[in-house]
Amino acid sequence: MVILATNKIRKIYGELENDSYTIALDKVDLTINKGDFIAIMGPSGSGKSTLLNVLSGIDKPTSGEVTIAGEKLNDLSGDDLALFRRKQLGFVFQDFNLLDSLTVKENIILPMVLEKKSGNIINERVEELASLFGIETILQKYPYTISGGQQQRTAVSRALVNEPNIILADEPTGNLDSKSSEIIMECFEKVVNELSTTVLLVTHDVFAASYCHKVVFLKDGSVHSSITRSGRRKAFLEQIIDCQAVLGGRNSVF
Amino acid sequence: MSFNLIVMKMAKANYKKYTFYVLCNSLAVMLFFIFSTLYFNADIVQGEEADSIKYALGIPSITLVLFTVFFISQAHGIFIKKRKSEFGLFMILGMTNRDLGKLLLLENGIIAAISITLGLLCGTLSSRLAFFLLLNYMGLSGVSYQLSADMFLSTITIFLVVFLIAVGRTLFLLFNQDINLTLKSDRVSETIKMKNPVLGMVGVLIIISSILGVFITYTGPNGGDYLIIWTVFIFMGLYLALNQFTSSVINFIKKDDAHYYPRMVPLSNLDYKFKQLTSTLMLVSVMIMVTVLYNTILLFTYTDEKERLMNMNPYDIAFIQSEHHNNLTEEELYAIVDQDENPIEQHITLPVYTFFEKYHDMNWGQFYHVMSDREFSKLRSTTIALEDKEFIYYLNHEAHHNTEGYVFGFHFPAENENEGNYIHVDTIVERNLNHLSNDFVIVNQAEFERIKENREDGFESTIHLINVVHWDETAGVVDELKEIFTTANESSPSISGINGEESPEKFLFQVESKADAYQMNMNINGLSFFVFSFLSILFLFGSFVILYLNIFSTIDKERVKYSKLTKIGLTGHETKRMIAKELAPLFFTPVITGVVLSFLFIVAMATDVGGVVQNPEIMVNFIVVAGIYLLMQVGFYLYSRKKMVSKVIL
Repeated sequence: MVILATNKIRKIYGELENDSYTIALDKVDLTINKGDFIAIMGPSGSGKSTLLNVLSGIDKPTSGEVTIAGEKLNDLSGDDLALFRRKQLGFVFQDFNLLDSLTVKENIILPMVLEKKSGNIINERVEELASLFGIETILQKYPYTISGGQQQRTAVSRALVNEPNIILADEPTGNLDSKSSEIIMECFEKVVNELSTTVLLVTHDVFAASYCHKVVFLKDGSVHSSITRSGRRKAFLEQIIDCQAVLGGRNSVF
Repeated sequence: MSFNLIVMKMAKANYKKYTFYVLCNSLAVMLFFIFSTLYFNADIVQGEEADSIKYALGIPSITLVLFTVFFISQAHGIFIKKRKSEFGLFMILGMTNRDLGKLLLLENGIIAAISITLGLLCGTLSSRLAFFLLLNYMGLSGVSYQLSADMFLSTITIFLVVFLIAVGRTLFLLFNQDINLTLKSDRVSETIKMKNPVLGMVGVLIIISSILGVFITYTGPNGGDYLIIWTVFIFMGLYLALNQFTSSVINFIKKDDAHYYPRMVPLSNLDYKFKQLTSTLMLVSVMIMVTVLYNTILLFTYTDEKERLMNMNPYDIAFIQSEHHNNLTEEELYAIVDQDENPIEQHITLPVYTFFEKYHDMNWGQFYHVMSDREFSKLRSTTIALEDKEFIYYLNHEAHHNTEGYVFGFHFPAENENEGNYIHVDTIVERNLNHLSNDFVIVNQAEFERIKENREDGFESTIHLINVVHWDETAGVVDELKEIFTTANESSPSISGINGEESPEKFLFQVESKADAYQMNMNINGLSFFVFSFLSILFLFGSFVILYLNIFSTIDKERVKYSKLTKIGLTGHETKRMIAKELAPLFFTPVITGVVLSFLFIVAMATDVGGVVQNPEIMVNFIVVAGIYLLMQVGFYLYSRKKMVSKVIL
């Protein structure tokens, strides 16, 4: 079942008439099925973040269409788009985006509160997610008193709380150390395997990408290539590094 | 790059933080200075009512000093909180305490200098303007705008003392705090601060018992001194209550998920805001309380006095005419009073027989006027008919005055012993004509004629009662009449045998007019009116600006917060609603607190005049003043909400 599909999306910044324009995305076609776990990689300026913004409706494409769960994003605007995001999409950000004035639990339930769900349902859902991601003990703490890894697990829980069709993650491990990154990626694995939720993440962390089922490489705004994981994670990791080398990025510092 | 250059560069980069801080300080200086132009004005504090005005300025003075202390320390706190993380970084980079102290003192010194200059400048201009407008509006002549060294010195001294204490405290904390904490200080939210519901309850209890205290002690001896003490207690209680009670309320709401969840974001924000803005909210509450309280008292005094004066002078112009005094022919009188643009509407003349009774062993006496029952009936709605030898003692006075003493002491002598005394059938106390000479003896027409003919101790005279179309335009006419009478009366023979400036005749033949009474009221009450109006404007303005500055000082944080919320799917409509929910309590808690407190104060203080139940007009005035204030606050809230929405939703 197709969850997300793009049809030749282009995003151009600036005016086409004068020469000062930049093509950020160039005819990107992408199809994501339910239960997919996909990473989008590419060097800086390849259009990763623009793609994610267009997919989430934060940014509008210059041409082309984005369809999520049968709904065309082009047809939505303003509050409808916000409501669609809240119900159908879950977001995880590089800098967590938690509210300092709310506790961990309150941050997690925020989207449900906006949806006016009842107290009992909210509490059940929080317990479920907290035990899944091992954050039961910090539910009453404030974001600035917990570690980065814990904050990101809180953010993942928040993204999942309204049972979205797809989770979009923008560099979810970008601010984390390797141990925390590992825990977060394991969380995403659980999201895909146990909750059957689709996950799309943008990253340049090869280690994080190796957890995914498929990696799509972008270069200069269009899809350059993609690889699918067939075996063990370690082999996939090496495969990703090789592909990066082909893309022109350096495969190793040494 | 020299050290001073670094400081300059940083000041440029941080201009927004500095602007807020300088504005707050200037505002404090300005408000305090404006108040001191009133407090040290020689015309006001050395005039006839100096004592009562100084007394009335007691609570506002405390409020303003408190305001200065809290407001400056709070502005400093907000400023330093923003700057502290930078100081932490400097310390990590190896800046010594000495250098840091120098930096802090240098920038705060410059800020203090700018604030004082700006505050005094704006204060001078706006107080000049306020004096000009108010004095012009009220037509008050006894007061002029003054500037004195006291005003400047007191303002600068109080500002500097508070400012230096705030800076000193920061220096102490900076040198003694963990660098790591200093570095993170910008992120640490206030919510981890002490939460103690019991303290909040104590605050509420202090407020209640202080109000009771006012109620009990206000009418007793030294009531005024107690009032100040209770006020200080109420302020303390208010601080505790605002600081702690809201947390308790929020904690209470938190117990029920169904109630808490839908209001989670605004409530958690309020919990933090109420802590951060406790002193602001308290100050605004107090300022609103003082404004509403003083305006109610002012309006009450004003309307009450106006009503009393109008009652005291039922006719626009009144005087007594006799052969030797105030003697004008009708033509002469009309030539003066009956103006084309303000003609006479009604002119009543009452013939009376006036005689003088000197008090025993005293250089003073009393005029009595004998009047016929027929003439007397002209003044009233009901007619009176008396038999021969009967008389009514009529006292031209407001009925509620205690007149029993007069009645029993009064004896109307017959003109000769053989005829026997007149019988006193009744005493009437009511106000029917202007405050001329207030003691009348009413007899029937036949008796009146007989007295006129037979008695030799008095003289015939006529009471003139005149109404024109516009009483408020008669000041000139009245003055002219008075001048003519004074000149003419100079050569008149004495009646009482008591001479001099204060002779009874002087009072008897005075012209009593509404215009004079109004002017007299303006001279006596105008000054209080001026002082109270001045204070209201000052406090109204002050309270608005403080709230506004404080709420908008954290606008950057709000923007970040709402951008996070938008990312997880908060709609524009929901954002607006959430902003409204967060702002409303900040705007309306102080108004409601202030209005309720002023109401309680008024109830307590009204015991002086018999309680609010006896004086419903006090309540009407209170409702009018509080209503106006509430309306203005609603307008201000709507404006701020709109501004906030436009700043937050990009």
